[in-house]
Amino acid sequence: MSYQKSNISSNNFEQCIKCTICTVYCPVTAVNPEYPGPKQAGPDGERYRLKKPLFYDEALKYCLNCKRCEVACPSNVKIGDIIQLARIKHSKLRPGLRERILANTDFMGTLASTFAPVVNTTVKLKPVKKLMDWTLKIDSHRTFPKYASQRFTTWFKRHAEKSQAALPNQVTYFHGCYANYNYPQLGKDLVKILNAVGYGVQLMEKERCCGVAKISNNLIKQATRDAKRNLEEIRHSVAQQREVIATSTTCTFTIRDEYHHILGLENGDVREQVNLATRFLYRLVDEGKIKLAFRDDFRMKAAYHTPCHMEKLGWSIYSTSLMRMIPGLELLMLDSLCCGIAGTYGFKRENYKYSQAIGAPLFKQIADFGVDVVACDCETCKWQIEMSTGVKVENPISILAQALDVERTKALNNIK
Amino acid sequence: MKYETIIIGGGLSGLLSGIALARAGRKVAIISAGQSALHFSSGSFELIDSEDNPLAAIAQMPSTHPYQTIGLDAVKRYAEAVPALFAEAGVEVSGSVEKNHYRITPIGMAKSAWLTLGDYATLDNATTLPWRKVAIVNFDGYLDFYPKFLDNFFAKRGVDTVHHTLTLAEFEHLRESATEMRATNIARIMTGDLLSKIATELRGRIGDAEVVFMPAVFGMFDAEAVSALRSQVRVPLYFIPTMPASVPGVRTQIQLKNYFQKLGGVYLLGDNVCGGEIRDNKLISVRTANHGDMEFHADNFILASGSFFSHGLIASQEHIYEPIFGLDIVADQARSEWYNQDLYAHQPYMGYGVVTDERLRCRLAGKTVENLYAAGSVLANQNPIAEGTGGGVAITTALFVADQIINA
Amino acid sequence: MLQTKMNHYDVIVIGGGATGAGTARDCAMRGLKTLLVERKDFTAGATGRNHGLLHSGARYAVTDQESASECISENMILRRIARHCVEETGGLFITLPEDDLSYQAKFVESCQAAGINAEVLDPKEAIRMEPSVNPDIIGAVRVPDGAVDPFRLTTANVVDARLHGADIITYNEVVGFVKNQNRLEGVNLRHIRTGAESTYYADVIINACGIWGAHVAELAGVKINMFPAKGALLIFGHRVNSVVINRCRKPADADILVPGDTISLIGTTSSRIPYDEIDKNEVTPEEVDVLLREGSRLAPVLANTRILRAYSGVRPLVAADNDPSGRSISRGIVCLDHAERDGLEGFITITGGKLMTYRLMAEWATDLACKKLGRTAHCLTAKTPLPGSEQTESPKRKHIIELSTEQKAAEGRHGTMSRYISSHNANDDALVCECEQVSVGEINYAIENLHVHNLINLRRRTRMGMGTCQGELCACRAAGLLGKANGCAERTLSDLSSFLNERWKGMYPIAWGETLAEIQFTSWLYNGVCGINQMVTPNKD
Repeated sequence: MSYQKSNISSNNFEQCIKCTICTVYCPVTAVNPEYPGPKQAGPDGERYRLKKPLFYDEALKYCLNCKRCEVACPSNVKIGDIIQLARIKHSKLRPGLRERILANTDFMGTLASTFAPVVNTTVKLKPVKKLMDWTLKIDSHRTFPKYASQRFTTWFKRHAEKSQAALPNQVTYFHGCYANYNYPQLGKDLVKILNAVGYGVQLMEKERCCGVAKISNNLIKQATRDAKRNLEEIRHSVAQQREVIATSTTCTFTIRDEYHHILGLENGDVREQVNLATRFLYRLVDEGKIKLAFRDDFRMKAAYHTPCHMEKLGWSIYSTSLMRMIPGLELLMLDSLCCGIAGTYGFKRENYKYSQAIGAPLFKQIADFGVDVVACDCETCKWQIEMSTGVKVENPISILAQALDVERTKALNNIK
Repeated sequence: MKYETIIIGGGLSGLLSGIALARAGRKVAIISAGQSALHFSSGSFELIDSEDNPLAAIAQMPSTHPYQTIGLDAVKRYAEAVPALFAEAGVEVSGSVEKNHYRITPIGMAKSAWLTLGDYATLDNATTLPWRKVAIVNFDGYLDFYPKFLDNFFAKRGVDTVHHTLTLAEFEHLRESATEMRATNIARIMTGDLLSKIATELRGRIGDAEVVFMPAVFGMFDAEAVSALRSQVRVPLYFIPTMPASVPGVRTQIQLKNYFQKLGGVYLLGDNVCGGEIRDNKLISVRTANHGDMEFHADNFILASGSFFSHGLIASQEHIYEPIFGLDIVADQARSEWYNQDLYAHQPYMGYGVVTDERLRCRLAGKTVENLYAAGSVLANQNPIAEGTGGGVAITTALFVADQIINA
Repeated sequence: MLQTKMNHYDVIVIGGGATGAGTARDCAMRGLKTLLVERKDFTAGATGRNHGLLHSGARYAVTDQESASECISENMILRRIARHCVEETGGLFITLPEDDLSYQAKFVESCQAAGINAEVLDPKEAIRMEPSVNPDIIGAVRVPDGAVDPFRLTTANVVDARLHGADIITYNEVVGFVKNQNRLEGVNLRHIRTGAESTYYADVIINACGIWGAHVAELAGVKINMFPAKGALLIFGHRVNSVVINRCRKPADADILVPGDTISLIGTTSSRIPYDEIDKNEVTPEEVDVLLREGSRLAPVLANTRILRAYSGVRPLVAADNDPSGRSISRGIVCLDHAERDGLEGFITITGGKLMTYRLMAEWATDLACKKLGRTAHCLTAKTPLPGSEQTESPKRKHIIELSTEQKAAEGRHGTMSRYISSHNANDDALVCECEQVSVGEINYAIENLHVHNLINLRRRTRMGMGTCQGELCACRAAGLLGKANGCAERTLSDLSSFLNERWKGMYPIAWGETLAEIQFTSWLYNGVCGINQMVTPNKD
C-alpha cells in the first residue's frame, strides 16, 4: 500500500498536521517544562535543525524515548525516532563515565555477577549510594538491581543445554542482560514452559546486549557494533529454522525497530523472526499447535502494566491473553501509563524527580488496586515499580511458569 | 486472532459501534491508527445545522446522503438513544433531537448544536441571552482564549461583561516553557487545592456577575475537576472551548474508550490496518503493521477510518483513494474539481468517501463486500462542516451498522 | 485638501515594494522630505512573490551582460548592507544529461566577462557540496548566488526611511493626481477599506509600482507600454537544499531551487497574462505539475517532499519606447523622466529591473529627483547598513547557544533589531507560532513598530503562519493579540477570516496529501469549532 510506504520516507516529519495530540500523551511534558515536548522537539524542531544545526536544543535529552507520542499520532509521524536521531546527530553532550557504566549493561553485568555478593552489598550501602550520587550523579534514591551469583548462561550450560536437542522443535532465546545477570529465574521459567510444550531452547553463541542503553546514552558506535553482531547471530539462527524469542519488550523492540530506524541497519530479512516470548506462545496456542494446562491450586491477583515499548509494539494482548488462560489468576488492567524509569534515564540524578513524577499516577493506581503482583514484560519497569510501590513485579512468563502444570502440559503435548 | 467484529478506526464512530456491539455481548476489537479527531471536538455534536426541526431538515437532504441511506426513522431512533448511551460511559450531554440549541464558540459566535457536553452553556436562541452581566475569566499567559472576542459576543447581545485575569503561582512552572501554556497541560495540574484556590479567587472577584465563563481547561481524564470547581462557586460556571487539543474532547475519547474496554472490548491503539483478504465478496481477515502475519479474523468488519485527516481517504497528486482495501469511492477525477477557491464555500472534497449499499456495506469493484460496513466520516455524500452533520452522521451510522451486525 | 506645510513633501514615492521602500529610504537619507504611499501592504506585489534569490547575475550572463554586472555588484552590496536579510549559501549551475554540456563553457566565459566568479566543479564535488542535487549531473559550476528575504529587506528599508524622517502611508490607493498644466503637484489617495480620501503634495512624484506602474502612469496621463509576465512558484515544507541550484541552460521553467529560511522554493514558470489579471495571482494545476516535474530534475527529493504553497507574481516587462509592439523588451532597469519623455514635469517612473537591483533603481530614481529638486546630496545606500544589519562585535558562540530557539529564530529574522523584542519573561517568550518559532514578544514588537494593521502584515513581518500548518494553530492566537492591541474585535475577526482564506489560496493548487488533511483539520477548527465562516470575508489583503 503506497500510503504505508510513504510513512518510512526520509521526510516523515512532514506528515505532521500540527494537531498537538502527541503533547497530550507525552509523559515528560506533563512534568518537566524544560522539555520542549514531542511536537516541538520532533517535527517542528526538525525543520529548524534542517535550516541550521545550531537550532538543536540539548533539552531533547529529557525525551524518554517511550514512543507514546508515536502511538498517539494520527498521522504516523515517527516522532520518537526523529528526536533520537536528532540527539545522535547534534548533541554536544559526550557520554561520561556514568553513561558508560549505565549503558554497558553486559560488561557491567559480567563484572558484577562475578562478584555478585560484594557488589550487591556494596551498592546497597548508604555511603556507597551517596558516593555514587556525588561522583557519578546516579541518584542515591535508586536501588541498583541485584546481580545474580550464577548467570543464566552458566545455569543453562550446566543444567539445561544437554536435554534441549531431544525436543521436537527448537527456538533461540535472546535472554538479554537482565535475565542473564540479574534475574536468571526468568530464563529458567521460559525454558520450563517451552520444554513442556516441546520446544528446545538454544542460546546464541555470543549474544550481545541489544544496545538500548547505549543508544539512549549516545554510545552509537558501540551500539551499532553490538547490533551487527546480534543480527549475525539472528541470521544464523533463522537459517537453522529457529525463531528468536525474547522475554524483554525493550530488547525485542530494539532489535525489531530501533536497529533499523535509529542505527540504520538493515534487519528486514529477519525482523519477523524476532519475537516476544508471550506472542510466540500465544500464537502456538491460537493455532492449536500447543496446549497449556495449569495447576488447580494456583491463586493470584495481578494487575498488568503495559510498558512503553510494549505499547509501541502493540502486543500487550498476547501477554494478557496468555495470562487470562490461567484459571486461578484474577487479572486487572492498569491504564497504559509510563512508569518513568525509561531504562537508565531514571538512574540519573537530574532525572530522578521527573522520573518519579511521571510514574506517580501509575503507582497510585497500583496501590488502589491492591494486587499481589504487577505483571509486566519489562525489567526496568519492574525496578521502578518495586522501588516506588513495594509491590512485587513479575514477568508474565514467570507467572505462567508458576501456574503451569508441567506434567499435564507435557502429556497434552505428547512430550515425554 | 479471531473476533466477532473488528472495527477499523477508534474515533467517535468506531467507539460507538464498538460500545453498541460489546453491549450486545459481542467480542469486538477496535484498531486505531493513533488518537482520533474527538481530541479537537468543540464539545458539541451537531445533527444538522437548522433553525427549524432538525429531522424535518434531514428529510429534505439529497437521497444519497448517509442520513437518507439509513432512513429518517433510524436517524431519529439512534439520535434519541445516544444521550443514555453516553451517560452509561459517564459522558454527560444535554440537547434534543426536536430542536437545536446554540453554543458559544471560542471566537464568540453562536453556533447551533444538537448535544453539548455538560461543561458548556447551551442557549435557546442565538440572539437573546438570559443574563445581564457575565464575568469572563482567563489565566495570565494563556493564549488560546480570547476575552476580546467573547466580549464582542456579549456586547452585541446587550450583556455587560467584566474581565478578570488570574495569575497563579502554580502556573509558573508550566510557563517556564514557551509552549506549555496549552489547554491539556493546564488541565493536568487542575486538581484539589488549586481548584479551591481558583474558586476562592472567583468568589472574590465576580461581584454581581450572574455567570462565569472560563477556558475549558478542566478535567482531562474525568469530569471531577469540573464538578469540584463548580461546587465551590456560587454562580453557574461555564467553559468555552479552546484550540486543540480540547480538554473535554480528550476526556470524552477516554471515557468512551474506557467504557468500551469495560464492556470487554479490545482497543488496539497506534496500529495501522494495511490490507485484508477478500474472498467471495467477504472480508476474511485484515493485516496490521504491528501484528504482521498474525492476522485478525472476524465475521464482520466496520470501516470507521475517517476522512482525509485520519487517512481514511488519501489524496495523491493524481487521484483520491481508500487506502486499505481500495474500495469504491465517490470523488471527482480532476484535481481542480476537489476544492472551491473560497475556503468558506462548499468544498467538494468534504463529500468524498466510500460508497455503500442501503445497509452501509462497502463496495469493491462494483460488488458489495457482504460483511464490511462503513460508518462516520469515511462515508461519501456528506459535508460535515457545511451541513453541520459531522457528529450526527458519525453517531447514527455507527449505531446503525452495529444493529445491522447484531440483527443479521 | 489645502496644501500646507504638513502635507507638502519634496518627494512622494508611490509603491511599497522593495524599489519604492528603497527609494523612500534613499530620498530620506539625502535629506528630502519624503512620503511613501502603498495601496496595500509592503511587499504585497512582485517583491513578495519571487524566488528570494540573491542573484549572482550568472543567470543573465549569457543573454544580458549589463544585467549580469548590475546583479553581481548589487549582490556584493547587499551582503554588506542587508546582512540579516541575506544568506550566503552559494549557488550551483548544473548540467543534466539531457542538457547541452557545451553551454557550460559559454556560460563560464560570460560570467567571467561580467565579473562573476564562476568555478567549474567536478560533479562529484558538487554532490558533496549539495547532497540533494540530482546525482545524474554531468557538469556543475559554482557561483556566488545566495538567498535574500524580500519581506525583511523591504521592512528594513521602510524602517530606515522612517528613521530618516520619511512618512509612511499604507492601504491608500492613488486614485488621481493633482495636475497643474504640465506639472504633477500631488496625489489623491483613497483608503482601500474606509474609502476616506486625502491629498498630498510634492515637487517630485516617483512611480515605483512595478507592473501597476502602467496604471499609475495612465492616471498621470502618460503611457508606458508594459507587459505582465506571470511566474508561478512552489514552496516546499522544509529546507531541502542548502545551496541554490540552477540549471545551466537557457532560462526555462522551474530551473532555480532556492533555500530560504526554513523552506525551499522552486520556480518559475513564465507566461504572458492580460493586464487586467495582474491582481489575480492564480496558479493552475498545470503550472504546479510543471514545477514539480522540472523541479525534481534539479533535486529528485522534491517529488516526495511536502509542498506548503503555490503562488505567483507578475514581472513588469517594459517595451522600449521606440517599439510599442512589445517585441523589443528590456529586462533591465527603466528610469523614465517624464518631463523629457512626455513633457510632464515632476514625475518619474522607475521600473523594470529585479529585486536584486532594487537599491540601484532607488539610487537612479533618487539621483533624478535630486537633480530636479536642485539638491546635491550623494547616495549613501551602498555603504550604510540597513537597520538590523549594523556591524556589531560578532556574538560569541556561547551566547548563541544560550538563546532559546525562538530567540535564535527572531535574531535570524530581525538581525540586531531583535534587541527591541521584549523577552525573558514568561508572557513574552510564549510561542504564538510553533512552526516558525514566533513569540508573543516578537508579535508585539511587530505590531508596535512595523506598520502592522492586520494578520497578513504580521505574517510578512515575522513569518507567523508561514510554516507547516499555514496558520492553523497560530492565526487565532495572533488574532487574539492583535485584537487586544487594536481594540476592535469585529475587524480582527473579519481579518482572521480573510487571513485563513488567503492561506488557502496558496494551498488549493496543491491540495492533496498532507495539505488536504491539513486544510480539513483547519476547516474543522475554524468553521466547525469556531464558526469563523459566519464572518463575511472582506477583500483579501
